[in-house]
Amino acid sequence: MPGFPTLQRIGDVKTHRFEEPVKKIYDGSDVTFFLTSLAYRDIMTFMLQLNRSVVPRKQDVDGTARVVTWPLKSKDVAYSDSVERLRALLTRLSKLVDDVPLDTGPRRFGNVSFRKWHQLVEDQRDNLLNECLPEWLAPAYPELASYLLGSFGSAQRLDYGTGHELSFLAFLGGLWKLGFFPEADAGVEERGIVLGVFEQYLSLIRKLIVTYTLEPAGSHGVWGLDDNSFLPYVFGAAQLAPAITESDDTPTEGSLPGAPEPSWVSKSNLVEKEKDKNMYFSAIAFIYDIKKGPFWEHSPVLYDISGINGGWGKINKGMIKMFNAEVLSKFPVVQHFLFGSLFRWEKDAEARPPPPTTHATSQPLRTPTAASPSTTRPGEAPWAGTPSQPPLGFVNGVTQAPWASRGPAPPPPRSGYAAAQRRTLPPLTENWSKHEQNRPTERK
Amino acid sequence: MINVCCRAIAQLRACRPIPEPQVRELCYKAREILIEEGNVVSVHAPVTICGDIHGQFHDLMELFRVGGDVPDTNYLFMGDFVDRGFYSLESFLLLLCLKVRYPDRITLIRGNHESRQITTVYGFYDECIRKYGSANVWRYCCEVFDYLALGALVLGATTDVPPAASDNENTQSTLPPEDEEVESEVLNANGDILSKTLRRRFAGLSMMSHHTNSSRISPAPDVDVPSPPDHPASSLPLQSSPSSQSLFTPPTSTTGAVLCVHGGLSPLIETVDKIRLIDRKQEVPHEGAMCDLLWSDPDEIEGWGLSPRGAGFLFGADIVRHFNHNNDLSLVARAHQLVMEGYKEMFDKTIVTVWSAPNYCYRCGNVAAILELGEDGSNGGCIARANGDQGRREPVGTDGSEGGSGVLWNLASPGRRYRVFEAAPQGTRGMPAKKPVGEYFL
Ligand SMILES: [Mn+2]
Repeated sequence: MPGFPTLQRIGDVKTHRFEEPVKKIYDGSDVTFFLTSLAYRDIMTFMLQLNRSVVPRKQDVDGTARVVTWPLKSKDVAYSDSVERLRALLTRLSKLVDDVPLDTGPRRFGNVSFRKWHQLVEDQRDNLLNECLPEWLAPAYPELASYLLGSFGSAQRLDYGTGHELSFLAFLGGLWKLGFFPEADAGVEERGIVLGVFEQYLSLIRKLIVTYTLEPAGSHGVWGLDDNSFLPYVFGAAQLAPAITESDDTPTEGSLPGAPEPSWVSKSNLVEKEKDKNMYFSAIAFIYDIKKGPFWEHSPVLYDISGINGGWGKINKGMIKMFNAEVLSKFPVVQHFLFGSLFRWEKDAEARPPPPTTHATSQPLRTPTAASPSTTRPGEAPWAGTPSQPPLGFVNGVTQAPWASRGPAPPPPRSGYAAAQRRTLPPLTENWSKHEQNRPTERK
Repeated sequence: MINVCCRAIAQLRACRPIPEPQVRELCYKAREILIEEGNVVSVHAPVTICGDIHGQFHDLMELFRVGGDVPDTNYLFMGDFVDRGFYSLESFLLLLCLKVRYPDRITLIRGNHESRQITTVYGFYDECIRKYGSANVWRYCCEVFDYLALGALVLGATTDVPPAASDNENTQSTLPPEDEEVESEVLNANGDILSKTLRRRFAGLSMMSHHTNSSRISPAPDVDVPSPPDHPASSLPLQSSPSSQSLFTPPTSTTGAVLCVHGGLSPLIETVDKIRLIDRKQEVPHEGAMCDLLWSDPDEIEGWGLSPRGAGFLFGADIVRHFNHNNDLSLVARAHQLVMEGYKEMFDKTIVTVWSAPNYCYRCGNVAAILELGEDGSNGGCIARANGDQGRREPVGTDGSEGGSGVLWNLASPGRRYRVFEAAPQGTRGMPAKKPVGEYFL
């Protein structure tokens, strides 16, 4: 498949030096670097490779052209042994949910039993990997397990978001790099990964969200794409894009003839009809499951996208751009991403510098007092410097401060009111005029 | 301005945004009114206290249906009008219009979401851009945020549960026995009583406490007082107006003041008067007293703790007991945390959380509540400030640090009526036109 890059496999796993992956992103400038890193290149390559694999194909069967599509549960997708192993792993993890009874004690929202489930998975980590992965991958367990364990939401915050989804993508990408998946024709193994593994992962995630009432991690409220997920919208749109040959570019407009209309998303009966065939509609169906209210009101961004005239190809292209900007370029999301020998925190020599606006607008902003004359007071410090970025979230239904530092700080002394020790917070960068210039690019 | 305001109110009640120049004018006028208010506004009972709204406009309309309209009902909103919901703009502007039109009948205090930085992260900014195509309206609103009061002090509340016209007959015919006194009650959206709590007595060992627990909206089977069986479906709950009140309120005992803040207490604030010294007309700082008042949460800890939110603090029962004691407060009312039952009393009823956004974010399945405090009729309703000599005191828990018997005698808590309600029905909301999507999909 010349011209369509795929994630490079590591030559010799035996001599490869694995590393315990660590956090590298601590502020806005780290996000800037990340967007030019090898890790970023590999994530994007793998994501695009999976995306392309589920686009319908024009195939020549005995001299007649025929269009093959890849709906969910497609009989045309044969799962390799590797895919089956991962499916077995996910089934095991799902069964563990049934083993952890819900906590019935007082709670505000998220159920603390999720922590027990998470702990179980952590405790059985090596067992699970031993059973599901071949022995020769054992040296990679610590590195792979970091991504796997980061895929299921935060036990501490009882939330789940696109950062966790990204971690699972990295788990799969890491396995790919290690040669865990067999060599095959372009798209064959990838389709198994998307339809066989990723969709099953999403089922597990939906079960976790519903069972333990996990909250969205980092929420724009109704003004985000989806409270929890992103990739099903990318892959789901690809499934409905017009058919291509192996040498065609990935389509950027048009739809597969007979594909459901994008506007169907606001009609729950039609969503119900499509959800077992398509990942986009499957994700929308989950929104209907957990939300009460008019679709256009609780999901206005998806509603607006459903009015697009350029077909699923255009939606697919837009979703990829949006994934790049709203997931990979957002500090609150990628700050938790871990870097090691598989996803390297190292500059990609061929990377173009990222456009300055894609990441800058995702930083917490501080309005300089000059913007509103009424608040200007002499001697007030102007905000300058580099922001240290926040975990942002929606934890048990509560708002977190976007500027909060992550490190624990000592609590204030119990009795000393005045002497109460204060956390020191990092200064913030953006000045107002810069914010205004950048902002429009973030509109959606 | 009144005419302009009435028109704007009508338009906003229909959930239609008003034109940008009108927003500008409204915000200007609102600032003129708010700038005259102190950091801690004095509000006289009767008053209806409300928690987070978060842009849930239709549920705000339901709140007014259940609690009565402005100006018939005196309202106090404890902040977080915006973010997360679809209608932050309509909700906030309507409340602001009502404030300009009836400044003495509605009090708005600031929540942690009434901030530039938070609204750019949690949705209100995106909403303004989408609805107006520019950030101007967002900017006008943020300028109003800077002028919102930080707290309110409710004065002259009675220890009795306030009378409500909707259950007057009932109350009269089933007055509790002489030695029992209703301390709080919970009503559903139709005014049916779901549960009551009787005040504890402190004579000798007869610590009678009776609490029928009912956490959901449907009437509990074991309510002390049956709700009127023939409650006409058409009759909306009426509000306790001063005239109806005098008919049914016997002279009652005074209670301390009730402090209302969005989040909670601050280790930097020992007295209510200290709040008055803050220079509030600014963006919410990342730390300090002003930040804490808007961000802190009560928690089952001793003393102060770090907040997982990354701003404000956690504070325990001992902190609240001492604060109330030192300030002659009978109760702290706050919002800021989702509670599934709409309200949650903690720490021996020294602090209550009120949450007014039902089915938060379309998915949490919670009910919402508002809290009504009645007027104390015994002193003409104009007690400047309860002090140690006035008002009944009741012990609130023990406090190890005091030594000895360790019981702190605080002012008796005010009578509290909670009205709980569910999300507004969606039947009437039409589907809007799809907006052109942003650059990603061009
Ligand atoms: Mn809040």
